[in-house]
Amino acid sequence: MAAVASGRCVGVRCRLCLMLTGQWTGLCGKAPSRFYSGSATLPKIEGANVTGIEEVVIPKKKTWDKVAVLQALASTVNRDSTAAPYAFQDDPYLIPTSSVESRSFLLAKKSGANAAKFIINSYPKYFQKDTAEPHIPCLMPEYFEPQIEGISEAALKERIKLKKVRASVDMFDQLLQAGTAVSLETSNSLLDLLCYYGDQEPSADNHFHQSEKSEELEEAIEENNEKSKKAGHQFGVTWRAKNNAERIFALMLEKNSHSYCTMIRGMVKHRALVQALNLYTELLNNRLHADVYTFNALIEATALSMNEKLEDKWNKILELLKEMAAQKVKPNLQTFNTILKCLRRFYSFGRLPALQTFREMKAIGIEPSLATYHYIIQLFYQHENPSKGSSLIIYDIMNELKGKKFSPKDPDDDMFFQSAMRVCSVLRDLELAYQVHGLLNTGDNWKFIGPDHRRNFYYSKFFSLLCLMEQIDVTLKWYKDLIPSVFLPRSQTLIDLLQALDVANRLEVIPQIWKDSKEYGHSFRNALKEEILMLMARDRHPPELQVAFADCAADIRSTYESQDARQTAPDWPANPLNYIAVLFLRGGRTQEA
Amino acid sequence: MFPRVSAIIPLRLLSPFPLCPGGSEAPAAAIVRLGAPHGTVRTKNEVHRYFGTNNVICNKKDEQSAPTRDISKETETQESVKENTKKDLLGIIKGMRVELSTAKVQTTRPPNRRQLKSIEATTGRLHKVPEDAPKKRTKSLSPELVAAAAAVADVLPFDKQMTKSELLRQLQQHEEVSKAQKDGERAKISVSNIISDMKIAKSSTARVSTRPVHQIQFDEGSNDYVGQKKTNDLKKSLRKNMLKGKRLNIFDLKAVTEEAPETETAPSLWDVEFAKQLAEVNEQPLQNGFEEMIQWTKEGKLWEFPINNEADQLGFLHMAAVEFLTARKSKD
Repeated sequence: MAAVASGRCVGVRCRLCLMLTGQWTGLCGKAPSRFYSGSATLPKIEGANVTGIEEVVIPKKKTWDKVAVLQALASTVNRDSTAAPYAFQDDPYLIPTSSVESRSFLLAKKSGANAAKFIINSYPKYFQKDTAEPHIPCLMPEYFEPQIEGISEAALKERIKLKKVRASVDMFDQLLQAGTAVSLETSNSLLDLLCYYGDQEPSADNHFHQSEKSEELEEAIEENNEKSKKAGHQFGVTWRAKNNAERIFALMLEKNSHSYCTMIRGMVKHRALVQALNLYTELLNNRLHADVYTFNALIEATALSMNEKLEDKWNKILELLKEMAAQKVKPNLQTFNTILKCLRRFYSFGRLPALQTFREMKAIGIEPSLATYHYIIQLFYQHENPSKGSSLIIYDIMNELKGKKFSPKDPDDDMFFQSAMRVCSVLRDLELAYQVHGLLNTGDNWKFIGPDHRRNFYYSKFFSLLCLMEQIDVTLKWYKDLIPSVFLPRSQTLIDLLQALDVANRLEVIPQIWKDSKEYGHSFRNALKEEILMLMARDRHPPELQVAFADCAADIRSTYESQDARQTAPDWPANPLNYIAVLFLRGGRTQEA
Repeated sequence: MFPRVSAIIPLRLLSPFPLCPGGSEAPAAAIVRLGAPHGTVRTKNEVHRYFGTNNVICNKKDEQSAPTRDISKETETQESVKENTKKDLLGIIKGMRVELSTAKVQTTRPPNRRQLKSIEATTGRLHKVPEDAPKKRTKSLSPELVAAAAAVADVLPFDKQMTKSELLRQLQQHEEVSKAQKDGERAKISVSNIISDMKIAKSSTARVSTRPVHQIQFDEGSNDYVGQKKTNDLKKSLRKNMLKGKRLNIFDLKAVTEEAPETETAPSLWDVEFAKQLAEVNEQPLQNGFEEMIQWTKEGKLWEFPINNEADQLGFLHMAAVEFLTARKSKD
């Protein structure tokens, strides 16, 4: 079914109402056009006959994506701010109350699915019965073992496709011993495999590990490591000298630029920087041309090399770029992003080059992605110390980005919002934060918020800034909106909120906050409890409020008591005791005091 | 809340400034008023005073420029002018005290004291440079202002040393005044911040790890006002900064945009993996049931809507083929 569906579809996306109306006309149009071939001509004739009526234009038949209807429906649903995110089961016991819990719940869900898949794939013979009609390929067991036996190039290709590093290296060796030549293409793909995975098997649990981003060291590219399904790169994979990749590279009779390029890329990926640069000179000696990806890798290699001064490194990078232009290799977005990423290590020296690079990028017409802006922000706001007269470039950036929608172009795109919000909070600029948040809500940009921890960071910073700078009513509105449906607050966030309440003299909300805190699992956070107690005990309040406060205090006292029961050390900090006593007295509960 | 409070205050601050020129222009103003007769000067001062206590700064400055003039010009009217200036200064001091006390902030007292000292200096010893004050003040002037004052002093046809020292003193007083005002403002704004800062300090000691955010808050709770003024001024100038300016000039637009003949190669492993990484960037957990259904439809687990009965012909055939083959195998 999937195959057929993909054959039929040309995805056309429209707005909601257009979609629905278009859907109906599409349907109506489809049916007649399929069965009555002549119907399309009828209205035209009519129109031609009747003078004074403009000609009827029949719209082109619209083909709709198979998910068009669903997408239309999905776009009507807005976030429900009183509910937990959809990903969680809608059961009171299974709704997370803290960010730690939410992460573990999601992981549990995912790992359950993965475990099931693992079992199906490990014992395919038990899962052969296929009752689904039409056939659902992805639910059937997958085959990971190579089928073709014997020594042949086809077998080698299959093993490469299945990403089996060891097996394909062995097959290659066997082929060479048998005397058959391996074609250049196959050799190259073998090299690719080895270089990408650094002579390691790709991790079998591909789906289980999140592949880390490129900052990790990767093992040297073993030649044509089998492209096993392992995409998880282990830490500390370094390029071992004389590994399989280099060996096979040496054995290859003819090498084209692709071979060199992939070797260089692999070396850089696995941090064999000097060798990469040497290989590059060899490539030039052989009068071959490197492609843009190789240049990107070389730039990274230059920037990461240890022993040079920053200006020298920068000059070398400029030289590489000039060679690139001379060889008529077109730079792409990754080129500039790599440069900016490496400039981060240059600290303040890198600011001017970074701006120059940015302008170059715009001059050539390459549209910067969110990752570009992220690197620039990182470079200019590296230390959280605004007293040095921090740069105001963030304002430029936000002006530039107003209203733009983005699509993923760089793996680091999802770090932008986090760093932007960090800068906002450092600069204490609420308006800027609103701008950033507005950008987040434009179009599909919300998807760039990144994984859980980044989203939590973003919203915590945002909310803290709101507590600091915004009017208390607006803050409380945001509070109701964001918590718990978007993020679950840490105790620090709640403390910030309490302080904002204090400043705005709205202490009557405190019992409510305490109730929420209990819900979010902060009952045993001493700092939070002390804060609450102190705020309540500090001034005298009208009597009803005192009663509410006294209830609250009783509650807190009970948490202390239960906590003591759990732990052996029965130390009540002095301050809470004071506060509780005072509150009880004021609330007319002298007995309990 | 606080930014709005702070927004009002600069308006009040800025209004007197047009009336009284800034520090660097003080010498020029002094030059201008040199020609005017004393009577008009005096009335001008009184007029300034009636404008309100906001113009305290201007009044004080005028009083100081008056003595400058007196130094350089007629000596017989000096006594009467001095008396008048003393009276006016006392009035100003009283006004200042009232104004600052209404703020109810402790931190404005030091600037008050500083200002009092400078006023006493001018009234007490018109000719001699006061000893203690300049030691504080000489640090606060920027070298350009000093150089400008020296240049002006050279131009004026009076005793150069005297005018220069007087001008410098005025500039420094102006600096102090403006700083004091700023401090006053900052202090006013940060009243609540101070309170909340105190709380933050306490809670941060209670916690094991002090968060850098709060440390910053404690240190610079008062930078908001200054920062905002700065940003509004510099925002416009910086806007051009990012986009305009020198570029690397390595690549040529023409060369880059021409379409080189691309050899069609199958995407290598690198490309495939990169595409996978990119797809992961945008991944977010599903937001509602429809998105889940979309996901399933894409994976092929769900029927597509509207239901197409002629769909999956290939699937059907494939299944039939598989059944046929397996049946055949079992026969063998």
